Amino acid sequence: MTAQDEKATPAGPPWAAFSPRIPPLLNDLPIVLAGLALIYGVLSLTRYWTGPINSQPVIRLDAAALPQYALFSVARIVSAYLLSLFVAVAYGYVAAHHATAERVMIPLLDTLQSIPVLSFLPPVMLAMVALFPTSQIGLELGAVLLIFTGQVWNMAFSVYSSLKNIPHDLLEASEVYRLSRWQTFLQLELPFSAIGLIWNSMMSVAGGWFFLMACEMFTLGARDLRLPGLGSYLQTAANAGDTPAILRGVAVMVAVIVLIDQTVWRPLIAWSEKFKFEQVEGAQVPHSPILEWLQRSKLLASVSRSAVLPAREALMLHFAKQRLSPRAGSNGKRVNWTAWALGIAAAVGIGYAVDRMVAVLSGLSSSGLRSILWGAGATFLRVEATLVLAGLWTIPVGVYIGLRPKLSAIAQPIAQIAASVPATALFPIVLLALIRAGGGLGIGSMVLLLLGTQWYILFNVIAGATAIPSDLKEVAEVFHLGRVERWRRLFLPSIFPYLITGFVTASGGAWNASIVAEYFRFHGKTYSITGLGAVISRATDSGNFPVLLGATLVMAAMVVTINRLVWRRLYSLASTRFKLEG
Amino acid sequence: MLSRGELDRAVALLERLDLNVAADVFLGLPMEEQETLFRRIPTAFAAALAPIFPYFHTYVLLHARTPADLKEIVEKMKPAERLMFFDDLPEQSWQHLMDELSGQAGVEAPEIAARPPEAVAPVPAPPAPIIEARRVEKSFDRPGGGAVQVIAPLDLRIESGLIVALLGPSGSGKSTLLRMLSGLTTPSGGEVLWHGEPFALARPNVAIVFQSFALFPWLTVQGNVEVPLVACGLEPRDRRRKAMVTLDSVGLKGFESAYPKELSGGMKQRVGFARALAVEPEILFMDEPFSALDVLTAETLRGELLELWLGKKIPTKTIFLVTHNIEEAVLLADRILVLGRNPGRIRSDFRVPMAQPRERTSAEFLLYVDYIYKMLTQPELEAQPPSGLAPAAKTYAMLPHARRGAIAGLLELLKDRGGRDDLYRIGDDLRMELDDLLPIVEAASLLSFARLEKGDVEITPAGLAFAEADIGARKDMFREEALAHVALLQQMRSCLAAKADHAMPLDFFRDILREHLSDKEVEQQLDTALNWGRYGDILTYDRQADRIQLYEPPPPVDAAAREPA
Repeated sequence: MTAQDEKATPAGPPWAAFSPRIPPLLNDLPIVLAGLALIYGVLSLTRYWTGPINSQPVIRLDAAALPQYALFSVARIVSAYLLSLFVAVAYGYVAAHHATAERVMIPLLDTLQSIPVLSFLPPVMLAMVALFPTSQIGLELGAVLLIFTGQVWNMAFSVYSSLKNIPHDLLEASEVYRLSRWQTFLQLELPFSAIGLIWNSMMSVAGGWFFLMACEMFTLGARDLRLPGLGSYLQTAANAGDTPAILRGVAVMVAVIVLIDQTVWRPLIAWSEKFKFEQVEGAQVPHSPILEWLQRSKLLASVSRSAVLPAREALMLHFAKQRLSPRAGSNGKRVNWTAWALGIAAAVGIGYAVDRMVAVLSGLSSSGLRSILWGAGATFLRVEATLVLAGLWTIPVGVYIGLRPKLSAIAQPIAQIAASVPATALFPIVLLALIRAGGGLGIGSMVLLLLGTQWYILFNVIAGATAIPSDLKEVAEVFHLGRVERWRRLFLPSIFPYLITGFVTASGGAWNASIVAEYFRFHGKTYSITGLGAVISRATDSGNFPVLLGATLVMAAMVVTINRLVWRRLYSLASTRFKLEG
Repeated sequence: MLSRGELDRAVALLERLDLNVAADVFLGLPMEEQETLFRRIPTAFAAALAPIFPYFHTYVLLHARTPADLKEIVEKMKPAERLMFFDDLPEQSWQHLMDELSGQAGVEAPEIAARPPEAVAPVPAPPAPIIEARRVEKSFDRPGGGAVQVIAPLDLRIESGLIVALLGPSGSGKSTLLRMLSGLTTPSGGEVLWHGEPFALARPNVAIVFQSFALFPWLTVQGNVEVPLVACGLEPRDRRRKAMVTLDSVGLKGFESAYPKELSGGMKQRVGFARALAVEPEILFMDEPFSALDVLTAETLRGELLELWLGKKIPTKTIFLVTHNIEEAVLLADRILVLGRNPGRIRSDFRVPMAQPRERTSAEFLLYVDYIYKMLTQPELEAQPPSGLAPAAKTYAMLPHARRGAIAGLLELLKDRGGRDDLYRIGDDLRMELDDLLPIVEAASLLSFARLEKGDVEITPAGLAFAEADIGARKDMFREEALAHVALLQQMRSCLAAKADHAMPLDFFRDILREHLSDKEVEQQLDTALNWGRYGDILTYDRQADRIQLYEPPPPVDAAAREPA
């Protein structure tokens, strides 16, 4: 994890002063209410999901509609996250435990992690509508699937690397005391992975918002595939030029994100503190009033006592006894066979897919190929130019802020909130402003990309500058280093690792955002500029599958290559030579 | 088992044999039988045999006899051999023996001497071993083919009712042997039997106490102790009761709901004990259990362990303790195994028939400590060189892992102490474990700055000159000796000199070393070689490019300023 995560703990909301003397019934009241709200929410969601497909969705702009849209958006995020969590744990577990699978799964993971998911947005949405032509659930599944693809890989990698890094003696202890696999998983592997998994979940969900906004406001040519939610609300509001609605929408969006941060992630981080693998208690422990309040709850305690604990107990004992029984040794072979069968099936499936892809690609015309290559070049230049622009203003500003502790105490949380607002949500608003000011998508797309990238960099630069040890600053003072020398010898080397972390994230975000930024439907008009993203969207629109497939592959290949050739190397340079070791 | 008649026949047989062969055969017997047999041997024959045994062994055996016999045997020894035996003995033991010989004995008479010989005459059958290792060995495959042998084939029987200590220098495979015996690693060859059954089929009831405690930080003390009990399939109520009883026995009552990170090191290791003891293991393995603790805590815990063990308050039948602390081994163990390295093998296996509790200052205690010190510091001093052992064909001469600053420090210390001192005393004064001290001494003697002799270390004229020289002269002397004695540095220099640009990737040497050594060991060897080579101005190393280059003297300005402190 990067260092800035720790420092971002807010001081705590006003109800932190709640005394524990509140009567238990009153204490549990919010939990009961939250439970009721959850049940109602799920009920209304099912009614909506199973309803007929909404081919001409009408997005209402009145304030009363907002809670419902927020609920829909959150529901998509939650389902995609739960799916990701399950798959990530399973993927990481299998990769860490089977050497043969590991050799395939880890390089695959590495590639999948850097593929720009949004390049699949147009084809996936169309495919899902084709699969479920009559039900709303098709579009919903498409959105969930995309978000899932965007967030699962780094979580899976986190689980895998945690499992691989469990201290040897703990593994030996669990082996010598003959823990069942289940017990090892529950008492050793899962707790050990928890902290990494939670941090990565946070990052994944933030990324999920980015994809969700793009999915919700997705229209392709004349086809309106929008989903009712915060994203489509903002887009419709911008379309209508309704400034109060835009402000309302943005406010609700920020509120939802902050609320999730406060009620889900902060308590989880505080709770996961006990899984920190340290032998001595740390000096600064993150804490969350909401967690403390939940832990005081009598209701939750009794639910846990009467349902969760006995279930866990029964499972652990069941697997322990199964392991103790003499037949335990016999099912090793069968698992092996299943693994082989799965492996062969996967290989056949991949082979078939590659064969089909080659067949489709052979239909690629030379003009199609040219448009793909031109687009690739244009998008590449656009993305890199955006990164340079972002770097140019964030590095000086970030260092300026980071060197002044009082200023950075104020700026850091603001940058964090700004970074957490998905850039895709703001696209229609920025576009509206630009069109009103007389600009086109040419500048517009750069601004859009900048919106998605700059905050990560700023955020990391501030963290890097804050972490410059004061003795080094004093040395620079003592030797009377000039402004240029100071930057060259002290500031740039010290923030380098942070800067690279920021750039890696920003670069991935920029490629993804280019899909949405280069082809946009607004005011009933389609705005587009030369670029790979525009090629993908246009090909989807016109059903030109060879170009669609070719462009998607080119984009994936470019991102993976750049990651390998540039960012990976800079990253390893940063973590060896430029690391400030305490 | 030998009956009375057989004993006499055995003595007669031994007398007919060649003296060296007889000593060989004799030492092959279990310790109890050796003692019984030695009591029956005529004094003249005993006097002939005694000097062949390791001196400490002779000392113990002599005390198996009556004081009168002891005196007679010593008198019958050849004067030269007697002198050598006396010379070998540490001062306290020698003093004690002198007192006995002059008739003033009895002050600290060892327990064996007080035992009437007839009381133990019917030798009990050696108990069936709990664990038996037959020709077990361990080697690790090298990525480029071939294998590195960590432990050479060895036989070992671990019987019930003993504390067995396993000692050895670092890199001798102590932990690997423990892991093979406890079933955590499968040997590359040979087999380990649990009560006569192969390990895989049996359900061995063992537990391990780890040096690093290996507690689950997210579970409470009680939760940690219950972990193995869950795996045994115990119901919650039984589990809780058992955990409580065990925690109580190790002095952790009242700490059930604390988390490990709230506890001190000693308390954490108590939790480790409790977790191990809760499953009532037949053998309790301990992997350097006191090494991570401070001196006082370690001493307290050793005392408590011994109390539990001697008071039979724990159901454990045998404790197998891996340690690098010689005093700890002599303090606790009934039997001590000493491992040698490259590859790991048992160099010595002997009983420690001292009564508990043991005094660290007693003559006998020091005798054992001194003997083990000498054995560990003198590779050639084998208890009994196993005959027919193939000479290691292509062995790489290991560099001891010592920073050059530590070598200089040792030489200065020696100089101040008049040039010679007992290694044991140096270690004691510097509060250094043998594991840390030995590489420094070995490095000094490899560079011919010092000499190791029977547990003493002596500075050589070259060493003395080094200790008295200034920084610049030291560098030159160091380079000279390093190039004369360190094969790896010689090799590096000649390779570099042969190249036009005088530079080479370090990987080249890494690959060469990998044929002999494990990856970790390769890195340590290179680390030491680079440290020495850079200090001696033999080569320079560019970490970024991972290349080494022949040292070229810089333009005269800042030659001395480059060397880091």
